[in-house]
Amino acid sequence: MAELPGAFWGGWVLVLTVGSLVGLGWVVFSVYFGSGRDEHEASPVWDGNLQEGAHPAPLWWFWLLFGSLVISVVYLMLYPGLGALGGAFEWSQGGELRERQERYATEFGPTRRLVAEAELETLRADPGLMASAQRVYDRNCATCHGYDARGQADLFPDLRDAEWQWGGDPAQIEQSIRHGRQAVMVGWLPVVGEETVDALTDYVLALADGAPAEHPGAQPYTLYCSACHGPDGAGNPLLGASNLLDDISLYGNSAEAIRHSIAVGREGEMPAFADRLDDTQIRLLVAWLTAR
Amino acid sequence: MNAVDLHRRLERNSGWLIFGILFVSAIGGLVQVLPSVLDDSLATPAADAKPYGPVELTGRDIYIRESCGVCHSQQVRPLLAEVRRYGPFSKAGEFAFDRPFLWGSKRTGPDLHRIGGRYSDVWHRLHLLDPRAVVPDSIMPAYPWLGERAADAEGAIQAKMRALRRLGHPYTDAEIDAAPAALEGLTEVDALVAYLQGLGTPGGDAR
Ligand code: HEC
Ligand code: HEC
Ligand code: HEC
Repeated sequence: MAELPGAFWGGWVLVLTVGSLVGLGWVVFSVYFGSGRDEHEASPVWDGNLQEGAHPAPLWWFWLLFGSLVISVVYLMLYPGLGALGGAFEWSQGGELRERQERYATEFGPTRRLVAEAELETLRADPGLMASAQRVYDRNCATCHGYDARGQADLFPDLRDAEWQWGGDPAQIEQSIRHGRQAVMVGWLPVVGEETVDALTDYVLALADGAPAEHPGAQPYTLYCSACHGPDGAGNPLLGASNLLDDISLYGNSAEAIRHSIAVGREGEMPAFADRLDDTQIRLLVAWLTAR
Repeated sequence: MNAVDLHRRLERNSGWLIFGILFVSAIGGLVQVLPSVLDDSLATPAADAKPYGPVELTGRDIYIRESCGVCHSQQVRPLLAEVRRYGPFSKAGEFAFDRPFLWGSKRTGPDLHRIGGRYSDVWHRLHLLDPRAVVPDSIMPAYPWLGERAADAEGAIQAKMRALRRLGHPYTDAEIDAAPAALEGLTEVDALVAYLQGLGTPGGDAR
């Protein structure tokens, strides 16, 4: 990892920095206190009073430069800057970050732990906490599920409706957030052909109003689909297989959308947040999502 | 003339004056830039950094061409708020195969160095072609043409990889031979999404 420079370059930086400070101090000093100051050369006088010569800027300017030099030297003694020397404070950017993280942990840790372990009821009853939960949601989830959590683009599910593809228990919702979800339904067109896909589409559309037993889609449904979506079409939260009985569907209710799901397949992907959110944030989100 | 006459001596000898001016102008570069270019500690790739594959490399060039870096930085700074928001801070070794690096200096949109895996490919595609489709109040421009153009229309990928190999990226002949096939049938948006999904995956250890 890139930290302070190695031996050779550390020495190089040290020598050049010290050398240039000394050199600069020397030049400044010689401007003000060397011989020849205010001495006019043997040059002609123009216009009665114009003549070449060396006349340094006012003395306060010298103190300004001198002060800057002193500040530089003090800085380099306290902080890293002189090659491999770390400075008296042993300051480092990583150390500073670690210190702040520790301070954050001691200051907020106990409260955050309380939240992470609290009953969902308690969290939901606290408007301040629910406002925080909404902020966590806005920052991490709204770009997909929409600012009102009502889903969008017929690709990202509504989290406010009564249907949970992967289960609506707090534990299942937590699982969805922490480890993400990868839904897989392959396309059936290559397996069953156009005609059966049409029949299945019609059958799925009809399912919402109760399954008609004599439907041409009923038999292929039992054959190909019931393993995941259930014999009655109620879905299976373990596989994320959608409930086909109601008119809530992720990819849209139109015959076209349903046909596409059946013919081409769907692979809805919810990213995992275990590494991006901590227990407190996830707990707040679960409480917020299960509030009615 | 004694030691305190340095200035006077410099002023009267144009050779010394030129040298002095050059030295003073160069000192910043000699102290700051030269060691970081030549010291190995900065040039050594992070343990899990690997050179971009042909698809990611093409995506990266599209990122540069579309000037995404004007609005997006690719450096998570070691500050508490950034580490909590974006993830582990960026380290020098992670950029060993970035030529040029795309750190950027302005954030109109969020930092992208840890964007990989945060969204699905589907989301990225929708968002790049029309950001308002998923973020209604986004001010990011839409890039609809990315979905229409072939990823490597100029067929330049092998030349690019050979050029980078000359600069030390360890591509094998087999990888270079296979590059055009990897890009076949992909559009620009596919390549750009592959690049974004690969960003910031190394170095995930130091949160
Ligand atoms: C391997 C298990 C599996 C099988 C077999 C299966 N599905 Fe699915 N199906 C799923 C999953 C998982 C989803 C959710 C996909 C997603 O969320 O991206 C789904 C989604 C759907 C959807 C879209 C629902 C919505 O909310 O938009 C329809 C329609 C559908 N399946 C119909 C069928 C039909 C008809 C068959 C039989 C030909 C079938 N499925 C077979 C697992 C399966
Ligand atoms: C890249 C876009 C994306 C982001 C960001 C995202 N989600 Fe999701 N989420 C999805 C998709 C897509 C699904 C549906 C997966 C499927 O097809 O089954 C989903 C499913 C879910 C489910 C399961 C829904 C059900 O019906 O069982 C929950 C709960 C959920 N997301 C919550 C969240 C929360 C909380 C966040 C923020 C921390 C979040 N999501 C961020 C895309 C996203
Ligand atoms: C005019 C400035 C601007 C330009 C140019 C721009 N973006 Fe953005 N970008 C934004 C803003 C603002 C957001 C936040 C709103 C949103 O998500 O759309 C954003 C968001 C994003 C996000 C989501 C980041 C996150 O963490 O949610 C990605 C990925 C992204 N941009 C990629 C790109 C790529 C790739 C390009 C070049 C093709 C690009 N942007 C060009 C302004 C810009």
